[in-house]
Amino acid sequence: MKNKTLKKIIGVALSMALSVCALAGCGQAAATGDTGAAAADSGQAEASDDSGAADTGSEAASSGDVVEFTFFGGMPGTEINNGNNEIQDMIAEKTGVRLKETWLTGQTVAEAIGSIIASGTYPDLIDGGDGCVDLYNEGVLVPWDDYLASGKYPNLTNYYTEKEWDQFRQDDGKIYWCNVFQNTKGEPTGTAHNDEAFWIQARVLEWDNYPKIETLDEYFDLLERYAAANPTVKDANGNDIDVIPYTCLCDDWRYFCIENAPQFLDGYPNDGSVIVDFDGKDPTIVDYNTTPTAKKYFQKLNEEYKKGIVDKDFGTQKYDDYIQKLSNGNVLAMCDQYWDFQQVKDSLRNTGLEDQGCNYVPLGLTIEKGMENRWHTYGDTLNIASGIAVTTSCSDPDLAFSFLNAMLDQDIHNLRFWGVEGVDYLVDENGLFYRTPEIRANISDPKYRADHLCFYSYLPQYGGTSDDGKNANLPDEQPSEFFDQLAEPMQKCFTAYGAKNYPDLIGSVKEDVNATHPWFPMWSFSNNLDTSTPGGVAWTKMGETKHEWLPKVVMSSNFDSEWDNYMKAYSECKPEDFLAEMQEELDRRVAANK
Amino acid sequence: MGICMTAILGKGMIMGSKKSKRNKTAITAKELARQKFMLIWSAIFVIYGFVFYYLPLGGWIMAFQNYKNKTGFLHSKWVGLDKFKFLFSDVTFLRVIRNTFCMGTMNLIFTTLMAIFFAIVLNEVRLVRTKKVIQTVSYLPHFLSWIIVTGILNDALSSTGIVNELLKKAGIIKDTIPFFSIPALFWPIVTFVHLWKETGWNTIIYLSAITSIDPNLYEAASIDGAGRWQKIKHITLPCLKPTIIVLLIMNMGNLLNAGFEVQYLLGNGLVKSVADTIDIYVLTWGISQNDYSLGTAAGIFKSVVSIAIILIANTIAKRTTEERLF
Repeated sequence: MKNKTLKKIIGVALSMALSVCALAGCGQAAATGDTGAAAADSGQAEASDDSGAADTGSEAASSGDVVEFTFFGGMPGTEINNGNNEIQDMIAEKTGVRLKETWLTGQTVAEAIGSIIASGTYPDLIDGGDGCVDLYNEGVLVPWDDYLASGKYPNLTNYYTEKEWDQFRQDDGKIYWCNVFQNTKGEPTGTAHNDEAFWIQARVLEWDNYPKIETLDEYFDLLERYAAANPTVKDANGNDIDVIPYTCLCDDWRYFCIENAPQFLDGYPNDGSVIVDFDGKDPTIVDYNTTPTAKKYFQKLNEEYKKGIVDKDFGTQKYDDYIQKLSNGNVLAMCDQYWDFQQVKDSLRNTGLEDQGCNYVPLGLTIEKGMENRWHTYGDTLNIASGIAVTTSCSDPDLAFSFLNAMLDQDIHNLRFWGVEGVDYLVDENGLFYRTPEIRANISDPKYRADHLCFYSYLPQYGGTSDDGKNANLPDEQPSEFFDQLAEPMQKCFTAYGAKNYPDLIGSVKEDVNATHPWFPMWSFSNNLDTSTPGGVAWTKMGETKHEWLPKVVMSSNFDSEWDNYMKAYSECKPEDFLAEMQEELDRRVAANK
Repeated sequence: MGICMTAILGKGMIMGSKKSKRNKTAITAKELARQKFMLIWSAIFVIYGFVFYYLPLGGWIMAFQNYKNKTGFLHSKWVGLDKFKFLFSDVTFLRVIRNTFCMGTMNLIFTTLMAIFFAIVLNEVRLVRTKKVIQTVSYLPHFLSWIIVTGILNDALSSTGIVNELLKKAGIIKDTIPFFSIPALFWPIVTFVHLWKETGWNTIIYLSAITSIDPNLYEAASIDGAGRWQKIKHITLPCLKPTIIVLLIMNMGNLLNAGFEVQYLLGNGLVKSVADTIDIYVLTWGISQNDYSLGTAAGIFKSVVSIAIILIANTIAKRTTEERLF
């Protein structure tokens, strides 16, 4: 009897196992077939392209001549309809290259880069984010030096000064990647604040007649009063939803949203991992995790959490949840970097919530009244820690570099960021680019973006003004366009505060950071620390500890004892090892600038 | 898949050993020809097992090297037992072992008990159609992937989720409970979600074992005046015992496979210290930190402990009862 049952079970299990095996077999075979075909394809394309590469390229014409390169970005992004995108095709016609972009999804960047390394198959181009150094250590990146020196790619060679390029050199003395952000051409237009701030919805400020909010206490006081008067708000469909006065992201590496505010509250710029104190003495590293301001800040969050002002789910929400919440319009305020939630602006526009004043206004808060703040950094910040790189898997590095070089041609740059003239922007009698409300609605429509726009957002690009000396390289930075494109509640807010742009709202000290803080930013060093040095080990452990403890401290019922526990756990990570290495690097940078 | 295969191989072993005891046939050409079909089938499994279970063991060399992709097996530096020394001096690793072991044990105990309980209860349902419907509904969650299950759970247990709403409406709590921020709740949540997903599926084997119990036994018991409860206690359970023990021993080998997806997807900074399992540790060190050697060392530790657990469980079963795996 029992045997019969077993036989039955085995029978079923066997057939299942076999069918799974068979399926797996099929899948693999199909996949290899595919790549084979693709490889053959690109081989062909290259062959024909070589002959045609000599002429201007605009005649390269039919899509058969276009080489498709792959790109992986170690950050989340939105895929466009590759091969079916109008501007991507135009760029492909001019350059002979179409770039298929894929982005980070559902993993940390370290895991993604780790898996790419483990698999041994690399995309042609890659921006490995924090994993750039790992890729370099694997020896899979193509050094740029010969290409830069060849003179064939003048746009790239002139993208940075020689001194700046030198900073990208790795320990073998070569350049392997280049960061594509914060590079100003012509005059800085300075409309954007791409950095961190305490943000607040425009309607909250309007509700209180645009008060002057300077400190953390005033900020939360306003939030409390607003939430008490408006316990629910309308979502895009007109339904009542509960307000979340303040939320705070703690997900993975994005937990900077909770952890680094103390440096700003004390009036320091974003050195990221430490404060550099140089008031009347040699620049010294200070740990912002243990300052009295840090304690005050977390105590404030703790109080507000107990009052129900801070989102109950803040400690466990994932990035996607967070963006969803902001897009719903019921989160009144948060602390974040602008680039971390900029996509929210488009969804607020699509759903019409922007007309209710759901867009966020940055505030430059400090811990006490009347202090200087440096939330906004004037001047470009050179991030040498990561950037775009060409891998050794790339079949034609020459073409890859000429493609990167072409990205900086003004006409292609305009195509990428402004779009097609007459369709995505119009030109007035003074030669200034502008957009109509219809065009703006198009631009923020996800489908239109996927089918028509192609930013290639992690390839070389400029801020500032374009070759014509009038227009901004990036539409968001066009001063005339900037104010017009704002939703009405935002315009009212800007007018009320007498601000022409975002930095005006924050009111940071106006100084060129590269002149006053020649070591800035220190995070470009700490981002690349790994566990091979004691400082790196301490840095990793500090991160893990803060990750676990900061939400705990904010949610604790007894702040003081929980804070002491946290401080004990923190000091066990030996932060002094980390700080010593940071001081060493700081001294090196200071000496290099003398 | 892996679990499935071990299950088959395990079963094969039981049957094989019984067969060889019964008839000792000499190996002749004729006999080989007669068993041609069986031999080909077994050969396929031997090859499969060799390629997918034994060949990868070559990679264990990494644990004794400071393995780097660039230098490969041949040129990476040999470091002896350094990686293991690091492992056992690392507080995180010890914590990870504890988490894996505790969650594995909780899952094993509760899923087994629940499956047996559910199989017996289901067997007592007399309406065939109702029974079929319940059974189908109960094993459907097995086919959902973990990402979906954790998504549902996340929604249900969030501060605005159905659980908190219900508890609030029922007046049991005043303030919402942040389920995923309380370390003490993490293990029970993981066990619960395993129960929800797998109970129906695990029941199938027990149910078929119950169906194959000789109906004469029940009839005889009824004539002797046994009620339902007595029949369950004196017939169903004893007849299920062999199946239970074999499955239990096999599942004990999977004790340290307490899971990866659930903990990975449900975990967050706040509960990290109780949520991370050995598999997650291997992922963080092996893939994210590029230290394949350390990841491999942790993997070896896991395999060795798993084998030891199976051997011990089997020996205990051998000593105390008739049933055993090998």
